[in-house]
This record gives sequence, C-alpha cells and structure tokens, in this order.
Amino acid sequence: MNQVAEAPDIHQVIKETVGSPFTDKPKISTRNVDVFYDDKQAIFDVSLDIGNHEVIALIGPSGCGKSTYLRCLNRMNDTIQSCRVTGEFRLDEEDIYARGMDPVLLRARIGMVFQKPNPFPKSIYDNVAYGPKLHGLAGNRAELDEIVVSSLQKAGLYEEVKDRLNASGTGLSGGQQQRLCIARTIAVSPEVILMDEPASALDPIATATIEELIDELRQNYTIVIVTHSMQQAARVSQRTAYFHLGKLVEVGDTNQIFTNPQHQLTENYITGRFG
Amino acid sequence: MDTDLNLTPHISNRFNEELEEVRNLALNMGGLVEKQVSDGLKALLKAKSKLGEKVASSDYKVNAMEVDIDEQCTLILARRQPAASDLRLVISIIKTITDLERIGDEAEQLGIYAIKLADDNIKPSQFVELRHLGEHVKGMLHDALDAFARMDVDAALETIESSTILKEEYDAISRQLILQMMEDPRQIKNALRVHWCARSLERIGDHSENICEYVVYLVKGRDVRHVSLDEMKAELEI
Amino acid sequence: MSKQMNTTEQVRRSLKKRHRQEQRFILMGKLAVLSGFLFLAFLLADITIKAWPAFQQTWIQLDVAFDPQTLGVEAAADEAALKKGNYRGVLKKSLSAIFPDVSARRDKKALLKLISSGAEYQIRDTLLAAPEMLGTTQQMWVLADDDVDSFIKEPKLRELPQDDRRIKDNQVAWLAQLSEQGRIESQWNWAFLTSGDSREPEQAGIAGALRGTMLTILVVLAMSFPLGLAAAVYLEEFAPQNRWTDLIEINVNNLAAVPSIVFGLLGLAVFISFFGVPRSAPLVGGMVLTLMTLPTIIIASRASLKSVPPSIRDAALALGASKVQTVFQHVVPLAMPGILTGTIIGMAQALGETAPLLMIGMVAFIVDIPQGITDSATVLPVQIYLWADSPERAFMAKTSAAIIVLLLFLVTMNLLAVVLRKRFERKW
Repeated sequence: MNQVAEAPDIHQVIKETVGSPFTDKPKISTRNVDVFYDDKQAIFDVSLDIGNHEVIALIGPSGCGKSTYLRCLNRMNDTIQSCRVTGEFRLDEEDIYARGMDPVLLRARIGMVFQKPNPFPKSIYDNVAYGPKLHGLAGNRAELDEIVVSSLQKAGLYEEVKDRLNASGTGLSGGQQQRLCIARTIAVSPEVILMDEPASALDPIATATIEELIDELRQNYTIVIVTHSMQQAARVSQRTAYFHLGKLVEVGDTNQIFTNPQHQLTENYITGRFG
Repeated sequence: MDTDLNLTPHISNRFNEELEEVRNLALNMGGLVEKQVSDGLKALLKAKSKLGEKVASSDYKVNAMEVDIDEQCTLILARRQPAASDLRLVISIIKTITDLERIGDEAEQLGIYAIKLADDNIKPSQFVELRHLGEHVKGMLHDALDAFARMDVDAALETIESSTILKEEYDAISRQLILQMMEDPRQIKNALRVHWCARSLERIGDHSENICEYVVYLVKGRDVRHVSLDEMKAELEI
Repeated sequence: MSKQMNTTEQVRRSLKKRHRQEQRFILMGKLAVLSGFLFLAFLLADITIKAWPAFQQTWIQLDVAFDPQTLGVEAAADEAALKKGNYRGVLKKSLSAIFPDVSARRDKKALLKLISSGAEYQIRDTLLAAPEMLGTTQQMWVLADDDVDSFIKEPKLRELPQDDRRIKDNQVAWLAQLSEQGRIESQWNWAFLTSGDSREPEQAGIAGALRGTMLTILVVLAMSFPLGLAAAVYLEEFAPQNRWTDLIEINVNNLAAVPSIVFGLLGLAVFISFFGVPRSAPLVGGMVLTLMTLPTIIIASRASLKSVPPSIRDAALALGASKVQTVFQHVVPLAMPGILTGTIIGMAQALGETAPLLMIGMVAFIVDIPQGITDSATVLPVQIYLWADSPERAFMAKTSAAIIVLLLFLVTMNLLAVVLRKRFERKW
C-alpha cells in the first residue's frame, strides 16, 4: 500500500463520532470542545460524556489530543499560556469553565495522577497529608492521621509502608511511588480521578497492581484514564474512546471496541495496522 | 480481497505473515476435508471398498492439521494479543477447524460404512436416495469453505439458508428407511447402516452451517449462532 | 566477510590516532589544572610571606616615671587634668634615663622617633585607667615606630647606605643597646585585628574595614535576597511570556554586565544626591552593591527555579494548591540550594568590589570602627587599596595581611554556601 500517495483528508474521514459518546446522567459532560495552542488546533469538536463510577479509557496514537482533552477536564491547561479552550464542560451540571468556578476547588473535586510518578520530596506521610492540609479537611492531628492511613489503605500501599511513614516518598519503588501519588490524590476525596498513562513508567507487576487498584477504585470514583497500552485499556475500562488527530473517532463499550470496532481507523489502530 | 473486512497490512510484517499462514493452513485443511467427504461419498455410492479404506485411514491427516493449526493460533494469541478483526479471525479459525475435524470424522464414518456395505454385497441402487443428500451436503461444505476463503457474508447466509433443504432430505430418507424396515425386517441391519450414513451427512451439513456462522462473526463481529435466519438478517441489516 | 574484515582493519588504523588525541587532551587538561593550582599556590604563599610581618609588632620597654612635675599636674589631679598632662615629656625622660649620653637636641629628637607617636596616648590611657600610678615608675612596653619595626624585621635594610635608610646609624646603635638590655621584643599583633585605621602603620588595624564590610554585606543580603528572589519568582512563575517580559529579561542580563563603577555613579546621583542617604556609610554602600548583585541573584535564581521538575508543579496544582502555594511550598524550597548559592556568589562578588564604593565616598580615611549602618565606614577591598597606596614601608605588609583577611572572609562565605546547599538539597 502506498502511504504517500494515499493521504485522505482526515476531516473527511472522521465526520462525526461513531458509537455512543453520550450516557444518561453523566458525571462529566463535554460538548463541542475545541482546543487551540496559539493558532494550531489540537482538538476538534469533541463531545463526550463520562458516566458515574465508570472507568473510561482514552486511547489513540501520540499527538491525538487525548492527554490535552484529559487536562482540560481539571483545567490543568490553564497553566499553559498559549492554550485556549472552547466548548462546554459540565461536572454534575456545573460549568467547569464558568467564571465563578475556582480551579482550586475544581481540582479538589477532580484529582489527577500523572505519567511519571511525582511524589513530593517529602515523607510518605506528608505527601498524603498535603492535600487534606491544603483544603483544611482534617480538624486535628488524629483526623489527619486517619485520612492518611485510610488513603494509603485504599491505594493498597499501607501494608508496605506502615513502618516507615516518615521515610521519604522518593525512596519508594516506581510502582509504590505511583500508588503513593494515587493515595495522595484520593486523600482529598475527589469525585473524579484523571490518570495520564499512570503505568507507562512501571514494570508489568507494578502495572498489574495499579490496574487492580483502578478496578477497586471504581466503586467510589469515576476514573478517566489515558493509556498507550491497548491491553490496559481493555483490561481496566468499561468504555473506550478512540481519538485520532484531535478528533473523537469512536466511543463504545470496551468489549465491543476491542472485538468489533465500527470505525476503520479504530480497527486499524487497535489491530496495529497502517492508518 | 473484496470483503467488508478491510485488511490493510499490519505494521508488523511478521504478524501479517503469521495470520496469512494460519489462514492458508485452515483453507488447506478445508480442502482436505472436502476431498475426504467427496471420496467417502463416492466410495459409498459406487460401492468401492478400497476407496472407503483410504478415506477411513486418512483421517489422521486431518487430525494432525487440526493440532498444528491450533498450536499456531495459540502462539498468535500469546505473542500478538490480537484485537478486533485479527482476534475474530483467529477465533473463527480455531472454531472452524474444530468443525472441520468433526466433518473429517464423519467422512471417516462414511468410509467405514462404505466398506461394510460393499463387503455385504449391498447394491448401491438400494440406497440411491443418499446420493441426493450427499451431493447437497458436498455443495454446502464447498460453499461454506468458499465463503470462508472469500470472507463473503452473503454467500455464507445463502449456505445457511440452504440447510433447510438438508433437513427435509434427511427427514425424507429417515421415513423411507423406516418404511423399508417395516416391510422387510431382514433389511433392518442394512437400513440402519444407510441411516447412519444419512445421519453423518446431515452432521456434515450442520458443521458447514457452523462454519458459515463463523464467517458472519469474522466479518460482521456478530454472533449469529442459535438465532433464526430472519433474526440473523434483521440484525445484519441485509 | 572480507568487507567486514576491511572495516575492522580501517577502524583499527584510525584507532591509534584517536587514542593519541584523547591522551593529548587529557594531558593538556592536567597541565591547565596544574598551572592554575600553581598560580594559586604562588599567590597564597607570596601574600602569606608578605603579610607575616604585619602580624608581628615590635615593642620597646621603657621605665616610665609618672612624675607629676614632668606631667605638669598636681599630685592629686583629677581625670580632666591628667588628660592634659605632658606625656611626651615623660617619654623623653624615660628615654634619657636609658641613654644618658644623648644630649644634643637633634639626637634627642631622633631618639624619640624610635617610639611610635601613639606611645604617649598609650601611657596616658594606662595612667587614666589606674591614677594611683601617679608618682610611681612603671616598666612598660610601648609601641616601636614603624620604621624601627621594619628595620628589625627586615635585616637587608641594614646593608643599605645610611642615606637610603630611614633609620640612621646613631639610631641603629641605640637599638642595639636596647636590644642588649632586653628592651626590644616582638609580640603577636592583636591590635591589627582590633583597632581601626591610622596614619601610623604600627597602630593601623583592620577592624574598622572588617566591621564596615560586614555591615555592608548585611545590607546587601537584607536587600538583594528578598528583592532578587521576588523578582526571579515573579518572572519565572507568574509573569506572562510576552514582549515586555522578554525585554525585562534581556535588561536583567545586560545589567549583570554593566561595569561596576557605573553603579557607583548611579548610587552617588540617586541615593546620595537625590535621596540624601548619608555618604560613606555601609547603608549606601550596601544599596549600591545590591544594585550590582541583583542581576546575578535573579539570573541564578531563575535558572534554579527552572530546573525544578515541572512534574512537581503539576502534582501540587492537581491536588488543588493555588499557584502561590505551589510556588512557595514546593518550587522555591526545591530551588533554594541554587538560589542560596547564587546569592552567596553574588555577595562574594560584591564583597570584592571597590570601584562603585569609591564613587560614594567609602574611600575616606576613617579611624573609628563603625557602630551602625549609617556611620562612616570603609570596606576591606577599599582598605587594601588605601594601604597599597600609602608610602610607609610597613603598610606593604598590612596590605597583604588585609588581603588574607579578605580571602578568609570569602572562603568562609563560600563554605557557608556549600553547607547551606548540602542542608537544603533534596532528591526528587
């Protein structure tokens, strides 16, 4: 197949999102999202609902805009000066980008875990306690202790670190660091957790632990996960959204996406074919 | 490839080759099984016990191929973790070869009965009604394999549709054999043998139908087993 | 296969050359390090040898008779009266007691010149401290004159013809006599570290300049660190990236390259003439040096802030920390070692600066040790400059000694930088 000769205009190929981007009573709903970096458009007219207590995986080739979209959800893109976001974002019917919406409050409700484990160079305890202290979630030391312990337990890290809560968070292994970051995030009791390739820097065993954890967290949180590993998306998510060159190509039940995708581009991507 | 299934090449050339190889093996196995069925039928209808022996003793080839293809599929699953159409292709092949192996077993049965009937000097004219059923089953198997090779959903559906004729033919033969047995109890032994042959042919038709259903699954991603033809068509929006 | 062999052969051939290159470079590097080290060692050795005499001081023992008659006071004089006494007469009498033969007026004057002009104040202060000594005779060590000091310390001066010497032959004879009587002694010169500047080398000390330097550095630290940190944090973390901030950045960088004397002119024009800050004071010196140090601190701090991984910022922001909380609870603490190093290096640079201080009058001759940041003062480098400029031979040693003190000061500050760095350094 001649790749060079055949370069169809992507905007013709992807006219509208295939599958079921909308759900009943979404936790987060986004409509007609466009994102620009200066004059360059990174995301084109994406509309997607994120259901309550579901794990939704955003997949797609590098530069497809999935991370950009993810960072729009908790307004992390605010810190990038050249970035301009338009469209409608709602968290439980509240406008995320409203003038009255404080990004600090928003980020307390929508937590985020990053690709590279990034614990603060402080003790394990202080890492987890930072968020609750910041937001004044604990009235006294005993309450704070309880939050720290329960967060570490939920993140499945407590048993491993209970004897050294005052040791540095950066001294842990990669997988433990990432679980520490997750514990730190859930210590603030967010409603939604965004995960940007949370396991890409980890070995398979640590990855499996994180995936298991994600599955458990689904009971209490809504999780949006960006991943490059299609197997991971297939394993942890209930719904999968496929992005391509800034467009949302297909959204659907994960089982369906991985056995019988509807759009040719999705098919090509998940089977590892030339686009 | 003129199908609904777009098979542009994978980024991994080796993966392409592996899939192509296992698919060709499955088609070869289909060809072999088809030959077995046709030989078995010929041995039966022409009362050739030599040919019957050949059919009966060749089944091991089919079995060996099944084992081989199974292993290749396992390796692909383990190494490539195929998804979507690739996954469906591998799954379809695994299932298809199981049915092909069963068809091979039935063909072996035909061969064995051909020997027995020939040894008892039973004239093929006495069970001429098998010819019709046999030809039809052969046609179905051929069409099914053809649909599989071309990934042709329409052809597969047509083949599934034609299985109703098969049922009618089989019922007709059964009734006729029961009549024969009632008229002349001395014929019961042979009539039962003929009935077993009819039964084998009917099973081959069933397995062919299964293969067609796998083709539909492979191309459309829908499981159409255990649904009526009308429902099937409605679901596939044909 | 043959091609393979060929490649190996070719690589092998070029290998020798490459190894030679490497060895040559290593040798050159070693030489460079060695020569740098030699220069430093030479400098330090030279200065130390030259400075050594400054830490030793020659004293002469006299039998001082606090005779009220000679002093011209009454037997029961009060303090005010004692202050006005004729102590020079007392000294003269003491000398005459040792050298009864010396009678010519000229010779008597030459004899008195053996003793420091500060000696009369020294014996006055002794008497004032203990008035009951009035009427008694005390054995006292008084400072020798700087010429005597130099003459005793530097044996080669004796070989010069009389006309080229500050110490004439008769004085040499007297000194020999004193020496025989055990009346000449060399002592550790504490006064150098505790007293202020003086026209007389034997009395001149470094304390005034040292105190002035410390006060100035404190002013610089108090002003430049908060200002520099605030500017760096704002520019790096908060300011929008546009043409204005680019302009500011370029200007900050340029400011670091402005000749220091220009800052002195600016200080003179703005701080002294316009704002009326007292001249010659550590306050205005510190302000001028702050101007000079700021760009260094800002540049170093920005580099340090930039090197904090963005993932830490992301982590804090994503937890709901505000921008200010993120910056001051995470980014600045992590950048602190670099910021402190930059600050200390900037201040060390300021510490060695002379030119801008000349412009704002810190070059004045100041005897008193400054007590506050508004007192007139001078600083070590300026003191070195002043002494280097003085004609008296003994000031040569003083200059070197002051350089050593300055170097020690700098080393201390750099050590402080290392210690602070180690203490604040965290791994991430």
